[in-house]
This record gives sequence, structure tokens and C-alpha cells, in this order.
Amino acid sequence: MFVLKYLYYSIKNEATTLELKPSVLDLDWAEVASKIKRFIKDYVSKTRAKGIVLGMSGGIDSSTAAALSALAIGGDKVLGLILPEKETYNKKDVEHAKLVAKNFGIKTETVDITSTLENFYNSIPIFNPLDKVCKGNIKARTRMIYIYYYANKLGMLVCGSSDKSETMIGYFTKWGDVAADIHPIMDLYKTQVQKLAKHIGIPDEIIEKPPSPTLWPEQSAEKELGIKYENLDLILYGFEHFMKTEEIASQLGINETLVKQIKQRWLSTEHKRRILLTPKLEYRTIGADFRLPRDY
Amino acid sequence: MKEKFKIALAQIGCKRADKKENLKKIENFVEKAKNQSADLIVFPELSLTGYVVRDQIYELAETIPGPSTQVIEKIAEKTQMYIVFGMPELSEKTQATIYNTAVLVGPKGYIGKYRKMYLPTHSVFEEKRYFRPGYQAVAFDTEIGKIGLIICYDIFFPEVSRLTRLKGAQLIVCISASPAVRKTFFEILTAARAIENTAFLAYINLVGIENGLQFWGGSRLIAPNGKVLAKAKYDEEDLVMCDVNYSDIKPIETFVPTLKDLRPELFDALKKSAENI
Repeated sequence: MFVLKYLYYSIKNEATTLELKPSVLDLDWAEVASKIKRFIKDYVSKTRAKGIVLGMSGGIDSSTAAALSALAIGGDKVLGLILPEKETYNKKDVEHAKLVAKNFGIKTETVDITSTLENFYNSIPIFNPLDKVCKGNIKARTRMIYIYYYANKLGMLVCGSSDKSETMIGYFTKWGDVAADIHPIMDLYKTQVQKLAKHIGIPDEIIEKPPSPTLWPEQSAEKELGIKYENLDLILYGFEHFMKTEEIASQLGINETLVKQIKQRWLSTEHKRRILLTPKLEYRTIGADFRLPRDY
Repeated sequence: MKEKFKIALAQIGCKRADKKENLKKIENFVEKAKNQSADLIVFPELSLTGYVVRDQIYELAETIPGPSTQVIEKIAEKTQMYIVFGMPELSEKTQATIYNTAVLVGPKGYIGKYRKMYLPTHSVFEEKRYFRPGYQAVAFDTEIGKIGLIICYDIFFPEVSRLTRLKGAQLIVCISASPAVRKTFFEILTAARAIENTAFLAYINLVGIENGLQFWGGSRLIAPNGKVLAKAKYDEEDLVMCDVNYSDIKPIETFVPTLKDLRPELFDALKKSAENI
């Protein structure tokens, strides 16, 4: 049980250190699913939104977020936007998105965004097609514009699909894929999302395929990050629990330099997670010391 | 004094920063409890305003007595019931000093209040940013026995409940706004505080979601032997009625005489050790 584990850890912690083994990431998946569904339902109701829009890539994160949205408020109130583009088009991914939509009764709409992207590329004077990251970010931000258009027009909320692993290390596009009104799975590491996905009935072929943001052809998250999610998640879990890099490295049998690099990625990307920064000039300041509830 | 009475655990969700709506809900629950012959009804921590109101607390806090306690007093008078609820209390002496307070009102009006002593300021909690801690444990004489009041995180510190019991509390009322990840702690500690003090303990928790925090409910009345006499649903609003019979205290107090066996000299040592963690 989630809480018992914490109780055990906090008592044990005085004498010894947390043991980083895969089981530390185990949660009661039925309870997690129920908390997330309640969260989604409550927020939709408080904001009086007519439903939820989200981008569906066919990957595990968006499939899980979409399914949970449907389970929370009913599939008929969830719109999945499938937004393929020529360069990274993968028939299997589109099929996967449609399969999840069908299984959970979600409506979908498919819009090919290739021509919009090409207009961007052609109209930016300094555009360099070889700069994969800058170009890829245009794709994520363009999808955000489509998704928010539908949300505005239909009086719906945008649901994000980012998980805790990629959000902690900043492996996302600022104002792009992470732009959303709610983030139901952002407190779950990637390997936890995989277990939750299994629990709620996401097909195995989606859970098992290698994760990718698909910003360029053949992009693989694990190859790009240089680490398997199984290890990344335990490293991040260690940071979350205030463990030192050398402890983490020694327990996992990983080179400490790699652990330090990941810590550096985590610490240096807070600007992508808390995005309103201004110098303190007045009595109460946005982003610094105005403290207001979010779901008021 | 009544030896036996009926308590109502009013596990509500609040409309944040909307005292009018929350007072309406409180009145509605009091009437429902009255119809089921309750003598005392208890609402969660900060039930007047909701828990996560952050900077809005400065606009919402009121003195005690004040406009909201007057409304509650009228409800208590009309229904001839005792009511415990939680609210942000504004100091009468300063303009922005606020306490996280539990208020007890009875058929004859305002009885007393308790200011939360332990203010969680870690993890998702930021109470010390907004509240000044209280300094006094309380237990009030009423027609339905001696009632002690504590609030939420106080339950992690056995000395608060112990002090209310040593002041004579037969029923310790703990009002709470506990998010779900802490459920196990409270389920264990509520029973522990009842057993170690050989007193009844009523735990009343908030429900609903505020700023991403999910309050788990699970309010309960616990007998002096640790038995859960009544329990409200998890996660949903609920109103649960249960009898409190003070004659149950004596046999337990004889069976496990924790109060008789208290060792006052240890408290000096405790004080010294606590200064040097």
C-alpha cells in the first residue's frame, strides 16, 4: 500500500537509506485510477467545461490520459485530436490512437498539420531544417494551437498527457505538448504510467512500444536520453526522496556522472515548469507571492 | 449532565471562499441531524471557508464572536444543538493575525474556541505562512459532557490530546482537512489517541478536491477502547449518527489505566530532550 510504504520508509530512514528497487514505484493502481478520475471529473465540473480535448498520438501517455478522461466523464464528452504530419507519419500510431478511442468511446477528429508546418518553415527567415529540436518544437506548439482552438470553440478543457519522468527532466516543449489545463498523470513516472495503463485496459502493443515524442523520424526517447526508463525513474525517485547522487549511482550500479547529468537536467529546467518570472517590484507579485487557489 | 447523547459527524465538502454557501450547507446538515435527534454535530476544519483559500484568507477571516459565529449561534439556538465547526479567526488586537480555530457553540450561544497549535508547513501545507499557532489546550463543560477540541495535525502530537484529557475532556473532537495520502496515519492515530487517553474521539474530515488535494473523508467516532463505533464514507459527503455513552469510559479506564499510570516526572525529561533533537 502506498501510504504504508511511506510510513515504513520514514521510520526506517533515520537508520538507513531508501532502497532503490523497482517495487518502490508500485502503487495501488485501482486507487490511483480512482483518484485521477475524481480529479478530472471535479475539475471539469468546477470549471463548467463541456468536456475535454486532448491530442492523441497513439503513444502510452496520451492513450492513458484519454482513457482516464473517458472513464471520468464519459467518452462522448472527450474529443481526441489526431494530428499527424508527413515527416513523422506512422500508420501504426494513428491506428493505436483510433483503437484506444474506439475502446473507450472517445470521439476523434484527424487533421493533417503538414501544410501548416510547411508554412511556418517557409516563413521564418532564419529557419534551419537541420536544427531538429527547434523544428520539432514548432510541431509540438502547432499541435497545441489546434488543440486549444477546439477547446475554445467547443467550451472544453485541454487535458495534458505529460508524465513525471519527462516533466522532471524537461523532456518536453515549453508552451507545446505540456500546455494544458490539467495534467492527470503528471505525478506518475513513465514506468508507473505503464502499469496504470495496463490496469485500465490500454492494449499491450501500445504499452510495449518504445516511447517517442515523434518530433522527428525514428526519434526514441530512451536513445536520446541515453538511459532506460526503468533506471531513469528510479534515479528521479531518488531525487524526489532527497537522495544524494552517489547513493543513487552506487545502489543502481550506474556511473555517477550520468546520475549527475540527469540531476542537472532536472534542476536546470524549472523554467519550463514554472513559467511566469518577473522582477519583484511591488506589494504582491505574479508568480512570486500572489498565492491563490488554482481551481477557484 | 447527560451521560449518553447522540453525535452527528457532518462530513461535508466546502465551496471555497464562499462563507454564505457554506453556512447554508452547515444549517442544512444541522437540520438533518436534528431530525435524527442529534445533540452535537461536528463539521471539518475550516469548514466555513474551505481549506485551500491561500491569500484569500485575509479577506475571509473573522473575529470570534463575529458575523459567522452569530449565524451559527442562531442555528444552535433554533435547533437546541451543540455545533463544532472550523474557521479562520482574525485576532481582535491586530489587523492581519489569523488563527486556524475550532469553535463550539451550544443552545445557549457561544461556548468557546480552540486555536490549532501544530500548523503543518511542509509538503503541500503552508499553514505557518498564514496562521499564528495557539497556545492553550481546551476542554469545555457542557450539558453533554466535557468536550475537548483539537485540529488535524495536532493528532500527531499526543501531548495535545493528553492535555485536553487532563483538563477533563471525555470526548475529544478532532476536526480535520486531511488529504488522501495521509489516510493511514489518521486511521491509526485517531484510534491511538482514544485508547491512550481512555476517551471518546470524534474525527471529522473534509471531502472534495481543492487545488489538486483530495480530502478523503472517513470521519469516525472511536470508543475509549479503540473500537470504531461509526464511520463515514471515504471521499463523499456523508452524515453519520452515533451514540456516545460516557459510562463506557470507566470500565476501560479500569482495564487499561493509562491516566492512573501517568508519570509526571517524565515530562520534564521530555521537555529537555525535545529542545535538543
